[in-house]
Amino acid sequence: MFITNRNSPFRCIFCFLGGVLFFLGSSRELASETRLFSFTTSKGLVIKVLQDNDMPFIHAQLLIYLDGSSQNYTSLAISQLTVMNMFERELNSPPSNLMDMLQRQGNDYQVEQNPEYVKITMNFLPDRLAAFPKLLKEIFYYQSFHLKKFKQSKEKFWSLFAKDRDWKKEMAFLLAYQQMVGNFYFSQGLLLQEILNRINLAQLRSFLLKTFRPDNALLILKGKINPYFILGMIEKDLPQPSPQPSKAKKEEITINANRKIFVLNVNSAEQPAVYWFDAAPAVTDVSYLPYVIGNFALFGFPGGRIYQSEKNQFSMAGYKVNTETYFLKKFTIFCNYLRLKYIDLENFLLLVEQERRKFVVRPIERKEYLDALNYYIGRAQVETSRFDYDLQGEIDRFHSQGVGSLALPIGPQLFQEVSLNRVMQVMDEQMGSRHRSSGREKGIVVLIGNANLIINSLKLLKTEALELSMD
Amino acid sequence: MIKAWIFCWCLVILLVPISAQTVTVNSFELPNGLKVILSPSNDMQAAAVCVYHMQGARNEPADSRGISYLYQYLMFDGNENLEPYDHVLFVNKMGGIVSGRVNYDNAVFYETLPAQEINVALWLESERLKSLRLQDANIDYHKNQIFNRINRLWESSQNFKAQTWVSSKVFEGSAYEYPLYGDLNRIRFLSNDRIRENYQKFQNLANILLIIAGKFDINELRAGINKFFQNIPPGRKPANPVFSAHNQRKSFLLKNWMIAGLKRNFVVYGIKAPAKIGYNFMYFDFLRYYLTDPRFARLDHILNIVNELDVEIESSFTDYMEANCLTIQISTSKRINLEKAKYVLEKEFQALGSNPISNSDMKAVRSLMEIDFLKSMISLEERCLRIGEFFQMFGELNFFDVQLKRLRKITSFDIMESAKKYLLKENQVVLNVYNK
Repeated sequence: MFITNRNSPFRCIFCFLGGVLFFLGSSRELASETRLFSFTTSKGLVIKVLQDNDMPFIHAQLLIYLDGSSQNYTSLAISQLTVMNMFERELNSPPSNLMDMLQRQGNDYQVEQNPEYVKITMNFLPDRLAAFPKLLKEIFYYQSFHLKKFKQSKEKFWSLFAKDRDWKKEMAFLLAYQQMVGNFYFSQGLLLQEILNRINLAQLRSFLLKTFRPDNALLILKGKINPYFILGMIEKDLPQPSPQPSKAKKEEITINANRKIFVLNVNSAEQPAVYWFDAAPAVTDVSYLPYVIGNFALFGFPGGRIYQSEKNQFSMAGYKVNTETYFLKKFTIFCNYLRLKYIDLENFLLLVEQERRKFVVRPIERKEYLDALNYYIGRAQVETSRFDYDLQGEIDRFHSQGVGSLALPIGPQLFQEVSLNRVMQVMDEQMGSRHRSSGREKGIVVLIGNANLIINSLKLLKTEALELSMD
Repeated sequence: MIKAWIFCWCLVILLVPISAQTVTVNSFELPNGLKVILSPSNDMQAAAVCVYHMQGARNEPADSRGISYLYQYLMFDGNENLEPYDHVLFVNKMGGIVSGRVNYDNAVFYETLPAQEINVALWLESERLKSLRLQDANIDYHKNQIFNRINRLWESSQNFKAQTWVSSKVFEGSAYEYPLYGDLNRIRFLSNDRIRENYQKFQNLANILLIIAGKFDINELRAGINKFFQNIPPGRKPANPVFSAHNQRKSFLLKNWMIAGLKRNFVVYGIKAPAKIGYNFMYFDFLRYYLTDPRFARLDHILNIVNELDVEIESSFTDYMEANCLTIQISTSKRINLEKAKYVLEKEFQALGSNPISNSDMKAVRSLMEIDFLKSMISLEERCLRIGEFFQMFGELNFFDVQLKRLRKITSFDIMESAKKYLLKENQVVLNVYNK
């Protein structure tokens, strides 16, 4: 049966059905994979679009870079206060244009900060995509600082800082970071009220002008997005930034992660917390994954050496150690942390030290290596069920700027390529005898709890203590 | 002709995004009566296996309240082939996550793990259903643990005491009146035989859903389910659970507690909210988002920013099937500010019942709710939970489009009507806790 009449209604119907099938087929094809588009706008903003046609909403991450290596607690306080004044919902009086725009966008946003960048994460419905470039403009050219709000942000700083986050871990991390990059002197104190009191609004304005610039940021969008449409809109809406002041050439950072034990005092009835920080290779470095596996063989649960020795040698309660990784531009910080009884504190610290030393004389066994590999390959697969799992790889790739040869994002396959020999070699470089020649172990330890009880329970280990009360 | 073509193409273009958002759910039943529900997502490498018990604390006999809460802990305590917490270690070793909880209306236990390991989760769950370890030693251990933990909390936290009291008054006369952990003293001395006997009802296969979401090969999965679950003996079909939405309270209840040495005065509002099975639930949920969700935080805005009262606001919502309770706690060290806050709150409740919410606020809250709903459909565990709940309440599997459509159609009139009905003074229980 062949339809020869061009005007036949059947021919039209078949053509239409064919077209529909082709359209649906192609949209299905598009829907099945995430495609990456990268652009740099004429104003210097780097945009990465992960086009995922199955995603019912849009996820955005905007990273604004801070000069982590030259930060001290004053500059840290300035950046914290700037972010609070701009984004803190509790300080929306008088209301700002930015807060109104965020609300119209759906209000599902959060802002987090580390010494190297401010990250603004946002989810919104696809019909708000067209309004997003205007919101970006408002962030980059923010002008709604207000004295009343600024004063409030200083008064309420600690309650806002501690809101919705593990502030103890955050403080411990800041302390360890400052220690590692070498800008920290214990006598400076931490982020204390007197540092906050010295800051004025002009400092916030100048910080904003210097830092919140399109040519100092990375934008990642994921969802059902036409990348060229969003690029065009952003090009249209973002004005040219003012010329960037010439930057002094930075000195190369020397990471100093020699062993120090700090005690922060809090008036709390809770068990003390131990945070053990190690500087590790950057995420794009080929040594990163071997380090991850080595760290698991040491601190992992339940197969890690420390967990096993806790039970077998020291008859402790079998404390589970959690691990968190902070991805920074030049290096990574591993934080292994747990809560435990005061009575077990010193034994635990000595045990960790002992197991780290043993690493060189008692190499990782095949079983330990396979357990770690199995865990991380599985974990990488489980992570794919999160809608934002593939964003970190793009951020890391951007950070590395071509330095380091590890292909990203990190998935199961990359873990499979790490050999046991390589793990041993990297762990020897990181924890081996070469680093102990000066008599100093590696790793910065921050203990948070009742300082008196902590210091009384540490008989052999030398500490530096600082009063920090946020209760 | 051209117009007709353009019309047809517009129709197709409009329909494509709707179909792309739909969550696929289908089901089958094993000969022993176990209902299996599948929700595939092939764009990931993980899968979640969830055992959803369509019963919880509300189905307990009056003389053994708290027994289901005890099962929550016993569920991780091993079985014939596994030692205590082996279950957790197994899944943890392969990078997966284990969790579970017992609620009033249901109980859920799940594992999220790499897709190719799905049979391990099926095996672990089947072992748990077949031969949970219910020996005297481990039952007694958990009885004591629960007793000590709740007692400590009771002794140390005035907030906990106050919220428990408010909740019991809001739910007076319903299955939710008693705390989930029941009567601590009674459960401590309840015979272990009784606990074992009741477990037969709790793990009745006819009352359980096996929900699997994520990536899987349907043929392999079916083979795995048959292998591990078909030998479990069938349960007795329970009488169809009939849910009925409770009405609002009819009288205002106010109580004052004077406590010596209290650092901050506080007030706890308990507002009886519509049942999850009721049509009004979504409208009240909108009000909850509007007033208390930290991303919108209207209450915080009017109390702390507009009126500068410097009060701390905490809230919780119960999420039960037959009735609910929105609890709002306001605390401050200055008593005068607390009284002002109460006055402002009452005015705000009245205003919500008489004036429509502005269009921009309506849009913002609706979009926030929609984003949360869509996020919950991506998260495997939450998707399993929502599928189970919807099936338990309505016997339906495909709810995604219906819920989304309803959500998008909420109007300010619906919200005003809901506020009129539920934010009334007669529908509230208020407890003032003052320093003596």
